[in-house]
Amino acid sequence: MSRKMGNPGSILLTAYTVAAIVFLFFPILIVIPMSFSGERFLGFPPKTLGLRWYMNYFSDANWIELTLRSLRVGLGSSILASVLGTLTALALARSQIPFKKAITALFAAPVVVPTVIIALGVFIFAVRSRINDSELTLIAAHATIALPFVVMIVGAAARQVDPTYEKAARVLGAGPVKAFYYTTFRALMPAVISAAIFSFFVSFDELIIALFVMSENHTLPIRIWSDLRFELDPTIAAISTLLIVFTTAAMIVADRLRRRSARKPDA
Amino acid sequence: MPAHSFRLLSLGIGIVKLLRSSDWLIVPGVLLLAFFFVAPTVEIALSSIFDEGLTGKHFERFATKGAYVEVFRRTLVRSVWIGILCVLIGYPIAYFIVHRSLRTQVFLMLLILVPLWTSILIRTYAWMVVLGREGIVNNALIWLGLIDKPLRMMFTTGAVYVAMIQILLPIAVIACYSAMTEIDRTLPRAAKVLGASPWKAFRHVFLPLSLEGALTSFVIVFMLSMGFFITPALVGGRKDAMLANVIAHNVEQLNWGFASALALLLLVATIIVIVVVRLLANRFVGVRSVGMAP
Repeated sequence: MSRKMGNPGSILLTAYTVAAIVFLFFPILIVIPMSFSGERFLGFPPKTLGLRWYMNYFSDANWIELTLRSLRVGLGSSILASVLGTLTALALARSQIPFKKAITALFAAPVVVPTVIIALGVFIFAVRSRINDSELTLIAAHATIALPFVVMIVGAAARQVDPTYEKAARVLGAGPVKAFYYTTFRALMPAVISAAIFSFFVSFDELIIALFVMSENHTLPIRIWSDLRFELDPTIAAISTLLIVFTTAAMIVADRLRRRSARKPDA
Repeated sequence: MPAHSFRLLSLGIGIVKLLRSSDWLIVPGVLLLAFFFVAPTVEIALSSIFDEGLTGKHFERFATKGAYVEVFRRTLVRSVWIGILCVLIGYPIAYFIVHRSLRTQVFLMLLILVPLWTSILIRTYAWMVVLGREGIVNNALIWLGLIDKPLRMMFTTGAVYVAMIQILLPIAVIACYSAMTEIDRTLPRAAKVLGASPWKAFRHVFLPLSLEGALTSFVIVFMLSMGFFITPALVGGRKDAMLANVIAHNVEQLNWGFASALALLLLVATIIVIVVVRLLANRFVGVRSVGMAP
């Protein structure tokens, strides 16, 4: 219900919220115009414009190699997390597993524990098992921290799916796989895709685990991080702009899908 | 004997049920967590107290070096402050949003979410650009004639606070907002109909009902800020390092044992604060609801 606008408290609160949203967007929106600067050093507003820093990024073999690695790892952990997370969410939604509470807590735990702790643990574990500096290890580690989000998003959708449809399909003669595919799976699909996009970015943006585990095979965030410690290379402004646009577009899609799947379907 | 065979039988039935039901779907996920979450956590616990035999030397090193205790204290104090500030700043925003029409709510929440989606690394970089010597803030202040030499804002504690609040504020708003959407909106209205002023209706009805959400929001922000790594290292000065930075430094120096001890302290401290907040909250909220009973 909208309250009467025009009383001083309400105007103040409106102004306050607008100011807060400006504060949240401010640094991000400053970086975008700066990435089109033609200058060697970043200043605002840029004195000359150009695509110099974008060319710099796309023509640097190392930047591209690291970007491709991050994309591969992101894709791998996104697939792993969404498959395992969906299975888990289905199991938790459907049956009365013993220790259900403890298991649910276990699947939420990687969000609660600071990533630096998981990073250190995975690093020691990986070195001792001789699987450090491997993309597969990083994929598994990233899938682990993404898993809770998948279980949450798909779990919310699974609770809206009526299992009677699947049973009805079985009664009508569909095999178990076919029955699952045409009823439950199709209903869950938007949530699964949303969770997969989300997991991709959990991995794609992740720094600390990669920093500890990948000593030679660096990822995109590792290069950005180590460059930033020495100088403010404007190439990073160009990369940031690309990432901001790419992330925002993909996450808006993910958010739409998640919202749609968490609503009760119209019967 | 009958009891024994009954138990065996029920175990057998249990296994058959597990295989026939969808319970086994949980196995792959549990395996991933076992190898990449539980086992690593156990490794940390072991590394912190074993070094060719049981040792307390890592914890001793922590306790006897003032610099480490100082980093620990700073991490704790800063995280509590960031948590409090984010809730204080975020609560009114959530309050504003939840009182709009549904369409406006969705749009405003999207505006809160978009900055959150950009990676922390990029957002911290953005603050480095904004707060730098030649950054927009300094240039604007000079242009306005308020200062004639650029201010030193980068590598200061203030910069760490500003950047961390910008990074974590959306999370505080989301937590407060989702708690507020659960509140029955007819209650504050009923209070007003019965003659309460808007302030009183807020103070005695809306606020107590949303307190739980505000506390959850504090706990989440506190927890996240305890593990902060990128922001203090990039926009903070030498005296702004947090526990995660010291852990990373010790990993680079191959002091796994000491890094593990610090990680364990970080984990335990986080859990203790959360438990204490919960206990205080139960008491606090409990007393309040008793007071409200007719």
